[in-house]
Amino acid sequence: MKRIGTIVALLLATQLTAFAQDWDPGGTLKKLSTRASKTVDVTLDRSMLQFASGFLDAKDPDQARARKVIADMKGIYVHSFEFDKSGEYTEQDVAAIRDQLKGPEWSRIVNVRSKSEGQNVQVYFRKEGEKFKGLVVIATEPTEFTFVDLVGPITPEDLRALGGQFGIPKVEMDQNSAGKKGESK
Amino acid sequence: MSDKLEQELKKALRRVEPPASFAERVLARAAEEEKPGAPLRPWPQWLGMGGLRWAAASALCAALATSGLVYHHERQKQGEEAKEQLMLALRITSSKLQIAAEGVQQMNSPEENQP
Amino acid sequence: MPYIGVAAGWGNVTSAATALANQLNFEDLVREHERMVFSIAYHFLQNGAAAEEVSQDVFLALFRGLSKLESRAHVTFWLRRVTCHRSIDYARRNKNAAAEVSWDELPEQPPENNSAQRGDPMLSKRLRQVIATLPEKMRMIVILRYQEDAGLEEIAKALRIPLNTVKSTLHRAHAILREKIGAAIGEGNV
Repeated sequence: MKRIGTIVALLLATQLTAFAQDWDPGGTLKKLSTRASKTVDVTLDRSMLQFASGFLDAKDPDQARARKVIADMKGIYVHSFEFDKSGEYTEQDVAAIRDQLKGPEWSRIVNVRSKSEGQNVQVYFRKEGEKFKGLVVIATEPTEFTFVDLVGPITPEDLRALGGQFGIPKVEMDQNSAGKKGESK
Repeated sequence: MSDKLEQELKKALRRVEPPASFAERVLARAAEEEKPGAPLRPWPQWLGMGGLRWAAASALCAALATSGLVYHHERQKQGEEAKEQLMLALRITSSKLQIAAEGVQQMNSPEENQP
Repeated sequence: MPYIGVAAGWGNVTSAATALANQLNFEDLVREHERMVFSIAYHFLQNGAAAEEVSQDVFLALFRGLSKLESRAHVTFWLRRVTCHRSIDYARRNKNAAAEVSWDELPEQPPENNSAQRGDPMLSKRLRQVIATLPEKMRMIVILRYQEDAGLEEIAKALRIPLNTVKSTLHRAHAILREKIGAAIGEGNV
């Protein structure tokens, strides 16, 4: 969490400007959706975010936090697929998406792999000069694929909130709480 | 892990009954949410007020008001749906960032890993 | 304004009908799951009033999102997950107020259906007291495991944490419980 905190602090010292997109390189996401047993597709552009914001309840802590997080965001795009069995998508499918993140504006800041669970989470930031303009998360498991694209400025508080709020218990790794050796790579 | 301890844990953590009338209180709160916001006027006092002209004008107004209510209702529904979508998106994002954070934490603290 | 009467009357009738339909269905769900929801919150928060507050909020969230849930099984999973998260959130929000709870301050277990299965009430109370001192994630895992008899994967999904984390956390919880219960009442009692 320390490293994340440092990254967040460095990264979010600047205000992020927006770029709007919901891309699907080579139609990969569409292809995955046809094979998935369960699909979550959330596409919220700026106008939809503003619209949704008007219905958030300020008295509900989760919703109040959500309102802060999305205040200046230009778009939130989440595509998550669950498959009945592993092998429904290939490394090539994922690579097609990762390839779009190889440009100089993209920085991969986290790459977490769990050999035992086949879990892989990569976090990318889009950067232009010294300004960060977006966040992409690619998370893969044998029977699950998730792609998250957040577009727009995020404050350090927002990212901290995203790391452990919205009804999801924050993972508090105490002195003894690390998993088995070699679990993460 | 002894079976005895597990059995005792099951006993200690058996489900308990909620307080009396818990369900009724939940239903009452839900019913409260269902209530329309504005106070309503009673059913047509205007029917005895005039002839065909009044009826026609009123029917037109009623149609307009109805469509307004339908529009409002639809917009409310769409807004709630957008909100749910947003919260879902943030939950998914949150859960994935957590996995990343946990992985980073483990990588940073190899001495904390247990065999 | 005559049209107000017509429009409001029409709207009232339809919304009342919808509400009735929803309420019937919703009421069934509340009565079916109230023990599960309340018990998770109660065992986690160790406070009846707080557990009721959280439980009511969980059911109201269900009420608002009922149309989105796909099946009864989905409802159970959803309720369990949301109750866990809201209980944890509640505990965090009220951390200062809750602070440290002494062993003697913990409430007695509310009444239950089958008193024959109660076991040793003192031992149960001690166990709940120790559980109340566990870190929040660990506490919730123990509750899901032993109150709900949930599988490890089920717990991982409900809390959205990796399976191995559930395993290692539960393992540590067992060690802590053994240690603390051993110290409190003697290892032989367990």
